[in-house]
Amino acid sequence: MSSFSKASSQELPEKPRRRIPNPFIFMEDYFGSGIKLCGLTVTLLFKTWSMIIRGKIDWPETFRQCEMIGLKSFLVVCITALFTGFAMSLQISRELVLFGADTAIGGVVSLALIREIGPITAGVTLAGRVGSAIAAELTTMMITEQIDALKVMRINPVEFLVVPRYLAGIMMMPVLSIYAMFIGLIAGVYIAYTAANIPPATFLDSVKQTILDRDFTVHFLKAFINGTIVTMFSCAIGLSTRGGAEDVGIATTRSIVWTMTMIFVFNFLVTSLTYAPR
Amino acid sequence: MSTPLPANKPAVQVKNLKKSFGDREVLKGISFEVYPGETLGIIGPSGCGKSTILKLLCGLIEPDEGEIIKASEEIGLVFQGSALLNSYTVSENLALALRTRNLSKEQQADRIKNTLELVGLGDHLDYFPSELSGGQQKRTSFARAVVYRPQIILYDEPTTGLDPVMSTVVEDYMIELERKLQAASIVVTHQHSTWTRTADRVIMMHAGKIVWQGKPEAALVSDDPYIHQFAHATKDGPMLNH
Repeated sequence: MSSFSKASSQELPEKPRRRIPNPFIFMEDYFGSGIKLCGLTVTLLFKTWSMIIRGKIDWPETFRQCEMIGLKSFLVVCITALFTGFAMSLQISRELVLFGADTAIGGVVSLALIREIGPITAGVTLAGRVGSAIAAELTTMMITEQIDALKVMRINPVEFLVVPRYLAGIMMMPVLSIYAMFIGLIAGVYIAYTAANIPPATFLDSVKQTILDRDFTVHFLKAFINGTIVTMFSCAIGLSTRGGAEDVGIATTRSIVWTMTMIFVFNFLVTSLTYAPR
Repeated sequence: MSTPLPANKPAVQVKNLKKSFGDREVLKGISFEVYPGETLGIIGPSGCGKSTILKLLCGLIEPDEGEIIKASEEIGLVFQGSALLNSYTVSENLALALRTRNLSKEQQADRIKNTLELVGLGDHLDYFPSELSGGQQKRTSFARAVVYRPQIILYDEPTTGLDPVMSTVVEDYMIELERKLQAASIVVTHQHSTWTRTADRVIMMHAGKIVWQGKPEAALVSDDPYIHQFAHATKDGPMLNH
């Protein structure tokens, strides 16, 4: 027994030492892949615009995508916007009542909704619901050679897959965004009435006095950018992924992380360019 | 769609084709020709570069060196995993292949119906791929590859993963399609029955090079160590030593 265990231990190869990852190589890989993805996304966006300018639009497929991206997101956007509106209105009402400025509740709530909460809520909800689905669908199509099949049939994958999703995204995102804003406003009216005893007429009067046309312009600009981010990053991730089933999960997660991060980054950029004090 | 190619000129000519992926040299100078009405079998062990040749022929990837001369740009490819679009019905999958061809709606519908009847799926027009068996999906993939009447048809492992009975059915369809369409066909496979039954001529690849070529019946009696080992499925031979 002892001779056996001795012989075995002699024959066993030496255990490989655990390698400490080089932080510079890790950072190079991490940022390198990020820069590559951003480059792919911008290239894909230009290719998509080129297709749209040349009129290569599959309208039936675009309307089908509008249903998938827009109509099927209404319920989840409604729930998200309603509870965000409740929470935000409660906080604002509490503070403004303390300062005796309760008639300004409507204005402050609506400003927050139209400038930030509406576009962000719709964008983040769509990033989670639609962006992940697009990335998973296109990655699966890549892995199962469906994209190669399209190319062999002389069908341009950008025209066939990306253009309808992009158009549906930029058409439906403003609709969902404005819808989120109105749901949030309804929540605000309810909370102002029940928690701060502000009548709906006073609330809405404050909204009318506070909101400017420019707020709507910026709101739609943010929604358009969010629609572009969600569809383009998800399509770029889906069309550049190779491998197997595990990679579908990785692509889905990657799509959510990138689209959500970019929504917040661009939201700040637009806000700083349009509302920063001069 | 396209006019038949002259029988005396090659439909596909491949000259000294080389392709690498990173440091890995997959094709090391491959040359062959295929004539209209002929089926060329490309056989060899997994990873020897067979499917890469098909991707190069379709233009899905570009060669590093060498030349591919095709008498027609109309190429049909039958994928190993069928590659049908899951959210489209059988007839819609075939309609996609006709999308870029100038055909009226009626002509398209006729062509789709006729092609599906050719592969025995005339009554499955409105089925989704998930509602079909593996063999039916493969036959739909055949139909999609030939619906625009290509002059060159490529098959990537057409019978891999099918049971022996379904393999025979699929092979029979390949033979029938070759007879009816008179196209130049290239079949990439390592299934013994597929290359012996469907190919008129066979090239055997190993480690990115052609190591043997000839008739399928000659392959079975050849003394060449590579084709002998492959055709008789033995462990003794040069392939495992590589």
